Amino acid sequence: MVRPPVLSCSHSPMNQTAEKPVLVSVQNLHKNYGDLAAVRGLSFDIFQGEVFGLLGPNGAGKTTTIEIIEGLRQPDGGRVRVCGLDPAQESMSLKERIGAQLQSTVLPDKMRVDEALRLFAGFYRRSASVEALLERFGLKEKRHTFFEKLSGGQKQRLALALALVNEPEMVLLDEPTVGLDPQLRRDIYALIERFRSEGRTVLLTTHYIEEAERLCDRVAIMDRGQLVALGTPRELITRSGQGTRLELRLAKPVGLERLKVIDGVIDCHEAEGAYFLRAQPPAVTIAALVRFLEADDNALVDLHIARPSLEDVFVEMTGRRMEA
Amino acid sequence: MAAVRIALLTIRLVMRTKVALFFTFVFPLVFLFAYAGLIAHGNPEIVAYMFGPVVTLNIMGSGFFGLGIQSVMQRERGSLRRYRLAPLGPRTILLSNLLANYLLQLPTLGLLLFCAVAIFHMPMKIGWVTLLVLVTVGTFAFAGFGLTIASVANTMQEAQVYNNIAWFTLLFLSGVTFPLPMLPRTIQRLAMFFPSTYLVSSFQSIAAQGDPLLRHWPEMLVLVTSGFFGLLFAMKLFRWEKEERISTRAKLWSCVFVLPFLVMGVWMNTRANPTAAWSRSYNAMDQGSSAGANAKAAKDNSIEDFEGVQTSEELTNRWRVTADSGAANHSVVELSLVTPGAEGTRRAMRFAGRLAAGPKNTPGKVAARYEVKIPVNSRGLEGIKFETRGDSRVYQVAFRPPNVAQLGSSGLPVPLPAISFVPGGTWQNVRVPIAWLANPTEHGLAEGPWILEISVTGPSGEFALDIDEIRFY
Repeated sequence: MVRPPVLSCSHSPMNQTAEKPVLVSVQNLHKNYGDLAAVRGLSFDIFQGEVFGLLGPNGAGKTTTIEIIEGLRQPDGGRVRVCGLDPAQESMSLKERIGAQLQSTVLPDKMRVDEALRLFAGFYRRSASVEALLERFGLKEKRHTFFEKLSGGQKQRLALALALVNEPEMVLLDEPTVGLDPQLRRDIYALIERFRSEGRTVLLTTHYIEEAERLCDRVAIMDRGQLVALGTPRELITRSGQGTRLELRLAKPVGLERLKVIDGVIDCHEAEGAYFLRAQPPAVTIAALVRFLEADDNALVDLHIARPSLEDVFVEMTGRRMEA
Repeated sequence: MAAVRIALLTIRLVMRTKVALFFTFVFPLVFLFAYAGLIAHGNPEIVAYMFGPVVTLNIMGSGFFGLGIQSVMQRERGSLRRYRLAPLGPRTILLSNLLANYLLQLPTLGLLLFCAVAIFHMPMKIGWVTLLVLVTVGTFAFAGFGLTIASVANTMQEAQVYNNIAWFTLLFLSGVTFPLPMLPRTIQRLAMFFPSTYLVSSFQSIAAQGDPLLRHWPEMLVLVTSGFFGLLFAMKLFRWEKEERISTRAKLWSCVFVLPFLVMGVWMNTRANPTAAWSRSYNAMDQGSSAGANAKAAKDNSIEDFEGVQTSEELTNRWRVTADSGAANHSVVELSLVTPGAEGTRRAMRFAGRLAAGPKNTPGKVAARYEVKIPVNSRGLEGIKFETRGDSRVYQVAFRPPNVAQLGSSGLPVPLPAISFVPGGTWQNVRVPIAWLANPTEHGLAEGPWILEISVTGPSGEFALDIDEIRFY
């Protein structure tokens, strides 16, 4: 199988984290489940204090990768170091230093919120104040509630609180907002942003584009077990060559060939009376478009400008949409 | 320390779950009441004999369905995964499960014991320490069993199948349900390979015969060894995730768990003779229970059973002996206690001595008399009976008022007739029909006391008569 090219921007001057020490190093990681190659030759570094995202569709290998980093799974090949430790060999020491939240956290039905926090806090040499965690994650009023009685969002908040129960250097979050409503999702975003402001290193997996764009300092886009792009969201979008999307309606029809030659236009097509342009840089194209319409005695009836997203990067790199 | 934390929380969770509470505390009581009520009919001796099987049943249940199924359920539900993120190993999880299972066993045992003693008057023939050792060893062994099954079962359904096979086999073929001596010889031979047999038979021989625990060290050793094997396999084959599957090879390796039972079974079948010990326990229970049952049945109508008499002096205070030979009383008579008594009771009275002829060669006569009160409600009584054995002399028994003049105009013959009997060397039952007992007030005879007189007369020489279990019938 031909490996797709990797769009890497890790040495770009825009990278603010490159000067910081590497906390996680993944080199040529491989993991198979029977005949299925879940991870194939994955390599990336995570720097201290950054929020790093593993972005990709379901089945891309994100969860396998994060679980290898957590020490829950053994890799079949490659080298992984987390906080200077080998997760496969030194998992007990590593677990003292990291906090993790699983894609789905299950606790005994009749376990109360504060009991769960106290129990898990007791497993570590260093632990956070349970009262502070309850306060911080908005669980104070639910402290005596059984796990089975918690809503999805409350369970997720408890899972995040459990991830911080040992005051970890690094937090690993596997799809932290999956299945949550928009409000709860925003709450979780706020919590992750707070992790960042506290200087914690965060590794999160997601298949939500806006989540990765909003939260992550750097993103590794994965598909079918391989890395397809790595860098800050802005770098990836800028360098992808996808251009900004312009959707315009004109007073009089105009030939596509004439639009294609306007400065900065990369691509152009027409559908249902609207013209769709991809332009780079967009400001140059818009200025040239206005001049073109004046010269042609035409007028702009409607204009929508859409910035390219990581979804476009993914489409460019894989030829498929993220949900596919 | 982490294992203790998890174990204590697990116990708390059990206390909050109605189903778990039912199976932990109520269900064992259901078995106790079923065994003690339906099988033992409330007979304390049989309850004591059946207490071992009830405790064993409870231990088996907690091992298979408590610990074993619980372990698989934790894995299937995914709750183990959260523990896996903490710095905990399989050993901590297994020890916590083991500890919680054991700690939950103790209050259940206390509850069973309380009900058995308070409700069924079970005699406490087994010491506290011995009981605790048996329960600890048994719990550990069956925890090993449950953990081994949980280790090799890939799914909950698979675990249920293995558990049911083991459960029903042990339930019916190892003395837990049917007493071992009642099982056919072939099944008895098979039972020698089962851990529940070792536990049940140890319980029963200690409870029924008062055997020391140390006499059962081979059984205890095998149970402890199998517990360790089970724990070892559980650690070796521990899986955090339900997706992880165990290979057929590993499953086969786990068969090593049954090795101690195989060794023990072969040894018992070839070298030891446990069936004799099983029968001894059973017979001891049987005898005790008949005595108990008889005592219970006769409780209201008993005149004298000698069980409460401790010394010969006490006996002579209750009974009056007379030597009525015409001469200067050369006959000698003595009352003493003999052990055991009739029908497996502890004591009987011996009426023995030497008869001496009087002047003109009149035969001597000696008698023992006992004051009897007519029961307040004697309706339905037909007479007096007692157990006796002796030397083939002719003895007589009579039931009369202290003073014949008391009979007055009762219409009864004076003197009242006596019944003769000739006791042999084994216990026999002698009955004295007394028709007016059915309605003593009609004859103005309800006022007591009356005298039961047992006497012997005849040629000079030694005599000896044992008497026991004197009661109205």
